[in-house]
Amino acid sequence: MNYLIIGNSCAGTSCAAEIRNIDKKGNITILSEENFPAYGRPLISYFLQGKQTLETIKYKKEDFYTKNKITVKLNSKVQSVNTTKKEVVCENKETYKYDKLLIATGSIPFVPPVNGIEKHKNVYTFLNIESVRNIQKVVNKNSDVVIIGAGLIGLKAAEALAEQVKSVKVCDMADRVMASVLDKNTASVIQNHIEKHNVTFYLSNTAKEVKENSVILADGTELNCDVLIMAVGVRPNISIAKDINIKINRGIVVDKYMQTSIKDIYAAGDCVESFDVLSEQNKILALWPNAFVQGKLAGSNMAGVTKEFTGAFPLNAIGFFGLHLISAGIVDTKQDGYKVYIQKDDTKDLLKKLVIKDDKLEGFVLINTNERAGIYTSLINDKTPLSSLNYDITKQNIGLNVFSKDIRENKIFGGI
Amino acid sequence: MKKVYAFEKNCLGCGLCEVYCRTAHSKSKDIIKTYKKENVDSAITIEEIEKNGVKTFFALQCRHCAEPKCVQACISGAMYKDENGIVRNIKEKCVGCQSCIMACPFGAIKMSVSGTVISKCDLCTENGNEPACVKNCPNGALKFMDLEEDKKIR
Repeated sequence: MNYLIIGNSCAGTSCAAEIRNIDKKGNITILSEENFPAYGRPLISYFLQGKQTLETIKYKKEDFYTKNKITVKLNSKVQSVNTTKKEVVCENKETYKYDKLLIATGSIPFVPPVNGIEKHKNVYTFLNIESVRNIQKVVNKNSDVVIIGAGLIGLKAAEALAEQVKSVKVCDMADRVMASVLDKNTASVIQNHIEKHNVTFYLSNTAKEVKENSVILADGTELNCDVLIMAVGVRPNISIAKDINIKINRGIVVDKYMQTSIKDIYAAGDCVESFDVLSEQNKILALWPNAFVQGKLAGSNMAGVTKEFTGAFPLNAIGFFGLHLISAGIVDTKQDGYKVYIQKDDTKDLLKKLVIKDDKLEGFVLINTNERAGIYTSLINDKTPLSSLNYDITKQNIGLNVFSKDIRENKIFGGI
Repeated sequence: MKKVYAFEKNCLGCGLCEVYCRTAHSKSKDIIKTYKKENVDSAITIEEIEKNGVKTFFALQCRHCAEPKCVQACISGAMYKDENGIVRNIKEKCVGCQSCIMACPFGAIKMSVSGTVISKCDLCTENGNEPACVKNCPNGALKFMDLEEDKKIR
């Protein structure tokens, strides 16, 4: 059996590991278009900041591939897939046969058209090691950096650069930072904290025009700009799937076995649409844990052990300049029927927000009060009726003592 | 695999498990020096339950899950399950993003006192056969055993 995996990040490697768990003999090959072994992609900001090295951001231990007899082909960008011959051809002309194929191509940066952007010689996205190396080459302590996009990626880039350059300015069309994850109240806590660290925000405002050494915003403000980072967002990397006419909506469409519309071709991670159990809709859930679980499930099904994906929900854990944020599920409640509980202490940048509907926890935001956050996550995941708990979670800090003795002991003794 | 199991009915909440956990993970391996000179995390925590004015306790640490959600969520590869089933964290790789804290359904992973990495139970196998917390529990509230054995005792 030949297993071929396109993509060497979270979903790809967890798929490979699971295949090897089940099938001790089959050939497993991973194709990566990059020049590096698998690395924790969200760690590139720590690498840019100098807190991590190329060695420490490696995602897998050195012996992962040898122990699991997985062949990795770096610098192997896929050129075409022939679904009749079951064959993949790379740009370097190497050809690989497959019986089962996984597409785990992740996300690509979305770069909106901006007038004059071609005039600026230092424009970069921020998604891989190569982008970090490019940025490292051009920034110094005199640089004025402009980042377009105040989402996770843009803010992590800002944090990484704030102490290395003269100025960091972040603009975004939205009226708040992390608009896709946070509501206005919680976003303002994050923004205020980041502003204390050499970062300036221009919100409800975006780049209208790029000049050789500056960026002009929609309201006419002109920002000096030596380095421009485009961090508007990411999109599923679906080019390979498109070429072979796999069914696609916003991402690759897969069934609950992670199989695409073409037999023997599976897909997992950021490039697919996932079922969001809270909104009960298919969405792009470009989240590391989701990629891990989906890759593993795909691997299991590819190796013949049938397992179903039961869905996911948004989850984010991220830190900026010592502030820690964890958010999950539904955070911005526009519809009726949600009860929102907020505890806030501005002097300590501390915030706890719980979103409750029909006796169930459906979402939360925690800033600098993250102890035992996973118990909240499990309440969302298990759809636990809050009235069955030992105490009111809006009145007391969470702990395993929230569960009745029987349930608590079953959890501790049973494990997962 | 052998894990640490907590028996609520025997737990006095004395905190000795925390003291010996810190000491076992200190440089000096000496209780007094650990407390006076070293800033060491305890990977075991005494949790309190208050019901009708009566307080009871249990000790909680990593369950070393078969399918650890912390490992799935870890963005850096710092968290992994070793060949003996022990869930470990490589401090040099950990960026303290707290993805594992977000994922652990037991609330058993904490931020380290250093504030930059997380802290969790490693079953302290290098300290001998029995983890330090179990060895030093004065009332048999912690036992080191595998699940089969556990079923008989419970």
